[in-house]
Amino acid sequence: MAASLGPAHQFLAPKHSHIHHAFLNTGKPVSSCRQRYGVITCCGRKARRSLRLEKNYYELLGVSADSSSREVREAYRKLQKKHHPDVAGQQGHEYTLLLNEAYRVLMRDDLRRDYDASTGRVGTRFRRGCSDIGYSSWKGPVRSHALFVDANACIGCRECVHHASNTFVMDDELGCARVKVQYGDDEQKLEVSAESCPVNCIHWVEREELGLLEFLTQPQPKDGYGVFGGGWERPSNVFMAAKTLSKQLKEQPATTTAATEEETPAQAKARADASMKIKMEKFSRFWKLAELFGLNTWNKK
Amino acid sequence: MAEPAYTVASDSENTGEEKTSSAFPEIAIGIDIGTSQCSVAVWNGSQVELLKNTRNQKLMRSYVMFRDEIPTGGVSSQLSHEHEILSGAAIFNMKRLIGRVDTDPVVHVSKSLPFLVQTLDIGVRPFIAALVNNVWRSTTPEEVLAIFLVELRAMAELQLKRPIRNVVLTIPVSFSRFQLTRIERACAMAGLHVLRLMPEPTAVALLYAQQQQQTVQDNMGSGSEKLALIFNMGAGYCDVAVTATAGGVSQIKALAGSTIGGEDILQNMMRHLLPNAENLFSSHSVNEIESIGILRIATQDAIHRLSSQTSVQVDVDLGNGVKICKVVDREEFEEVNRNVFEKCESLVKQCLHDAKVDVEDLADVILVGGCSYIPKIHNLVTGICRKEEIYKGMNVLEAAVVGAALEGAVTSGISDPFGSLDLLTIQSTPLGIGIRIEGNQFIPIIPRNTTMPARKELAFTTVRDNQTEALIVVYEGEGHKVEKNHLLGYFKIIGIPPASKGVPEINVCMDIDASNVLRVLAAVALPGAQHPAVPVMEVRMPTVDDGHGWCAEALNRTYGSTMDLVTLQKKI
Repeated sequence: MAASLGPAHQFLAPKHSHIHHAFLNTGKPVSSCRQRYGVITCCGRKARRSLRLEKNYYELLGVSADSSSREVREAYRKLQKKHHPDVAGQQGHEYTLLLNEAYRVLMRDDLRRDYDASTGRVGTRFRRGCSDIGYSSWKGPVRSHALFVDANACIGCRECVHHASNTFVMDDELGCARVKVQYGDDEQKLEVSAESCPVNCIHWVEREELGLLEFLTQPQPKDGYGVFGGGWERPSNVFMAAKTLSKQLKEQPATTTAATEEETPAQAKARADASMKIKMEKFSRFWKLAELFGLNTWNKK
Repeated sequence: MAEPAYTVASDSENTGEEKTSSAFPEIAIGIDIGTSQCSVAVWNGSQVELLKNTRNQKLMRSYVMFRDEIPTGGVSSQLSHEHEILSGAAIFNMKRLIGRVDTDPVVHVSKSLPFLVQTLDIGVRPFIAALVNNVWRSTTPEEVLAIFLVELRAMAELQLKRPIRNVVLTIPVSFSRFQLTRIERACAMAGLHVLRLMPEPTAVALLYAQQQQQTVQDNMGSGSEKLALIFNMGAGYCDVAVTATAGGVSQIKALAGSTIGGEDILQNMMRHLLPNAENLFSSHSVNEIESIGILRIATQDAIHRLSSQTSVQVDVDLGNGVKICKVVDREEFEEVNRNVFEKCESLVKQCLHDAKVDVEDLADVILVGGCSYIPKIHNLVTGICRKEEIYKGMNVLEAAVVGAALEGAVTSGISDPFGSLDLLTIQSTPLGIGIRIEGNQFIPIIPRNTTMPARKELAFTTVRDNQTEALIVVYEGEGHKVEKNHLLGYFKIIGIPPASKGVPEINVCMDIDASNVLRVLAAVALPGAQHPAVPVMEVRMPTVDDGHGWCAEALNRTYGSTMDLVTLQKKI
């Protein structure tokens, strides 16, 4: 649905719970509603985009941008346990709405990619940590092995798509097959399709390698020098490239692996600050706008 | 309990506003009002305990007897014989009747019950009456439920030695929001405040989450996510849920439910045993009622025996020269109820499909409710889920109320030093909620199986030039046409600035909080405007009252399409 993601935030800004209750308690007249919701369409189209950019789902959940869906899920559950209205009371409502939205987006590969793209975060998931789940999504639980199509070898015969249509798709732009859904078909079909490949370009790989391989097999923008270069490229031997890259990555200090461990006070504070910042920004926007055209209403009274 | 304090504390529709926090932590009790049986449970400080009535019963029959001046419910009243319930003086199955209009097929099926259910088929509430000293005395399902709840409350207060106010109730998945307001109304009449309404399988899911957390703690194992399918079928309703559980958190992936249950199986069997039963009992004379009662008991007994035996002999004298002497075997029983079992199958499949879960990934299959004893039900669920065994460790009849009591303790802010209450249920919406557009099209704004609390918004626009008013008609359901869905309410937006059709932007936002309160907001603006053209409307739904069956029709007749809306095609 077209309006599923963006517009959903429009109402978030004005209906902050504190504001809401403040109005309820003081029993202000209906005109306060006007100010309250006056903001709704004020955020309009242009503001909507910036609103979305400001709200960092990763910070909200306290996970790194390259975290796996498992990490997102665990963080989501942990935060829900603290902030869900069942536990935190009605004031947890707004925060839980944010959490639900963040979770919904980050758990769905397509939405997450769009979100990453909108925040200029493309590909960061694959820079660090190789345990990521790659471009293909998983049907059912994550297993130890995964299917991978070596796009360099693939001749685009569509044989695998024919045998296991829920798993493989033909990427018409690149002219080769790739895995869309891991274990999208039953294992027998997967075996048949892997064997049916005339050039043996379908490989069973370790799950840990998959993210890197899928990342590397996507054509990458090539850095251009002067008038040369630019354009797109991908490594000729994706397996070797993956090995090299993972070696390089291991040499980098591993700083992000602690995300799923018990939160340190500093991390908790950082996350709280992030959500506080989001809230305060909304707050200030609300008040600014309320002043803008709300003043008139007050003066009339 | 000679004289239950039957006081109607509040007749207000809006009972949910003070749902925030109470001054002192009072543990909410869990109540499971089943179509045939009901139970109460409470967190006693270390575990969940089921409360017993004076006759030491944990499960009490759900009925109210209108024999004397003071009606008595199944909690306190003592029956000399099962036949008494079926004498016409007792009202039961209120869960199947509450919040339904007289055009509803479920109400029509209820006409063969021993008490009086009369319909005029015009979309108003049915007339329900109990036979008291040869007089049909009218009542309503809400009133009956309230009387019953008062008894439950008195029983709980006596045992817990404190006043009871907050409750967590379990409800069927397929209940419409209008039906939920009726349940809340009945609770308000009984002086109870509904903290949460939990679909039955989600209460079972919470209990499952607790059990899983305990086994994880015992084994020091990893707290990995477990998927489970919960199938709950009682006398009145069949519900299915898929839950993802980890670390004491139960996340509902999908819900599916339907008004199908043991009552339908019973009616099918009664028709099978006595094909012209409806004609025989159409006038509800005293003799007829007696015959219905005898047939009902005999049929019930046969169904129970068919769970363990492959064939049973039914030998019963209904009086008035009507005798039944028949041998029924299990195949016959399954054939007679094929429609019921097919519906169950489709619910399970639909739920798995909605949850996007493969049967191989299900860690457990949980079967609860009275109908789970039926071998066919057992086989069809294990068949679809390709499981050899059903999850053990659930009391089939008590799981839902235990789950409700757990949720009651969690939402009351109680914590347990041993972590037994370190739980959370993340619910999702069982039905889509949306509005009417372009005549009779239904467009969902919050789709089915959206995680709660939820807030979604869609933009609409006008269908005519210079249209200044628009009607927002809110429905709940899954049909593409509004006629298939439940009407929740309607309101008018006025003062849309005159403009060509398709220009004004009407934003409709829906917000559901954790206690399942639905608010609908509507704002009007011209593109590029700095603020809304008129004050925003905020309406708590449902607003419809009794007799809402013909509201939609009346709106249609009066206004036609003059105040219609269409979805706004966003220009990107």
